[in-house]
Amino acid sequence: MNGGDLLLNCTDMSVLERQRAHLKYLNPSFDSPLAGFFADTSMINGGEMDGFLATAGLNLPMIYGQTTVVGDPRMSISPETTLGTGNFKKRKFDTETKDCNEKKKMVNREEVTEEEEEKSKITELNNGSPKSIKKMKNKAKKEENNCSNDSSKVTKELEKTDYIHVRARRGQATDSHSIAERVRREKISERMKFLQDLVPGCDKITGKAGMLDEIINYVQSLQRQIEFLSMKLAVVNPRPDFDMDDIFAKEVVSTPMTVVPSPEMVHSGYSHEMVNSGYSNEMVNSGYHHFNPMQQVETSSDPLSYFNNGQPPSMWHSDVQNLYGSLGV
Amino acid sequence: MQPTSSMNEEFLKKWQMGLQIFRPSIDNTSVHERKKAIKLSADVAMASLRKGTTCWSRALIEKTATEDNFLVRQMLSGIKAEALINKKLPKRTVCHRKIVRRSKKILRRKSKSASEEAAAKAKRLVKRRTQGLRNVVPGGELMSNDVLLLQETLDYIVSLQTQVNVMRSIVDAAEAEIER
Repeated sequence: MNGGDLLLNCTDMSVLERQRAHLKYLNPSFDSPLAGFFADTSMINGGEMDGFLATAGLNLPMIYGQTTVVGDPRMSISPETTLGTGNFKKRKFDTETKDCNEKKKMVNREEVTEEEEEKSKITELNNGSPKSIKKMKNKAKKEENNCSNDSSKVTKELEKTDYIHVRARRGQATDSHSIAERVRREKISERMKFLQDLVPGCDKITGKAGMLDEIINYVQSLQRQIEFLSMKLAVVNPRPDFDMDDIFAKEVVSTPMTVVPSPEMVHSGYSHEMVNSGYSNEMVNSGYHHFNPMQQVETSSDPLSYFNNGQPPSMWHSDVQNLYGSLGV
Repeated sequence: MQPTSSMNEEFLKKWQMGLQIFRPSIDNTSVHERKKAIKLSADVAMASLRKGTTCWSRALIEKTATEDNFLVRQMLSGIKAEALINKKLPKRTVCHRKIVRRSKKILRRKSKSASEEAAAKAKRLVKRRTQGLRNVVPGGELMSNDVLLLQETLDYIVSLQTQVNVMRSIVDAAEAEIER
């Protein structure tokens, strides 16, 4: 009576198949089409479920009464999926019977979102997100109650590979397009946050356009700096074949040297501090610590072995003047 | 995704390798030639650190290869240069111009409220900036989706910072040497 109709109602057949196979694995005796169906509803995210409720409510109000009976004994078998299905069925039953009562429906929706929340927490656990650690204890207790950690682990793994869990908050659109768009936007804002940390002076700016502006400026300034620095190197060093390996080999514990920002950098559009503020302190320290020995070694030993500077300093200064002209700075 | 000292070192090694390849041709050249050589080798060194996993590095290598194929091939000899150079970049998606124009017309026909108009304006601003970012990041015009673009930008910025850091350290060292 119900198998065929229910199958028609399911939106995603591949999901259904997978879930059925999975449930068979969990509970060999339970392999009617219903099993697949209920697992499916438990896995589908908020949006699809709403759609499903609408279609299911038209023809089959009776089924829910039966299925709750079927679903309940399974609750002890696999905590993640079946617990969900059991609750879902009851809720759906509620929504069907008291369809006209709008308030009740809202409450149920809330519960559904709560359920979704719980599930997303589970997936977060897999990803090792710090947010979920707080909830870990809570969940662990639940698992103890259900006494089947293994099956739940398998479920989680399957979830991880097959789905991206998204939860729709109250009042948010729940069709698949909106959800996909929301996921995309979340990803973008996450990347933007990273960029904000990376690009100096970007954290004060609100708004995407301003931030993008700042990022573009920063990238361009970095590119210009590289151009400038390579020019400077070409001027300073007639033959760029300094032996870096030697320098690294002779690395000695040196006294910390303060690196004075070169005045030329101010001319190139961005000050020294501007660039350095983008790094973490540790980075700057380690970077300079790394190169300090080099300076130490050079100043203490024969310079010609590292830098083949055949040009006298006066010549170098005149070259720098040319450099400014050629770069148009 | 912060630049690390190991990244610095790796970049330095690669760059040095590139410079050594240049040495024979670099001896009696003008400042500009030398500068170009230094910059190209630094670019390739930076891009080769990523081993072809990112779009921008592939695009950069491709661009450099058109300028100085020999250098790129020499420098990338360690990591299958051929595969890197010939690795296909994602295809640029081209919309049919007629369709775009028609859809714009349809969009314009709808009357908009003030808030909608403001939102549209903001959207346009962001779009223009994104386009600008595409032009700045190498290979950016090939990245069709914004998420990828931002991710590549992140990676590119980290690499640029490494490069600037290393170069500045060397310049500072060299300057200190000269002033002494």
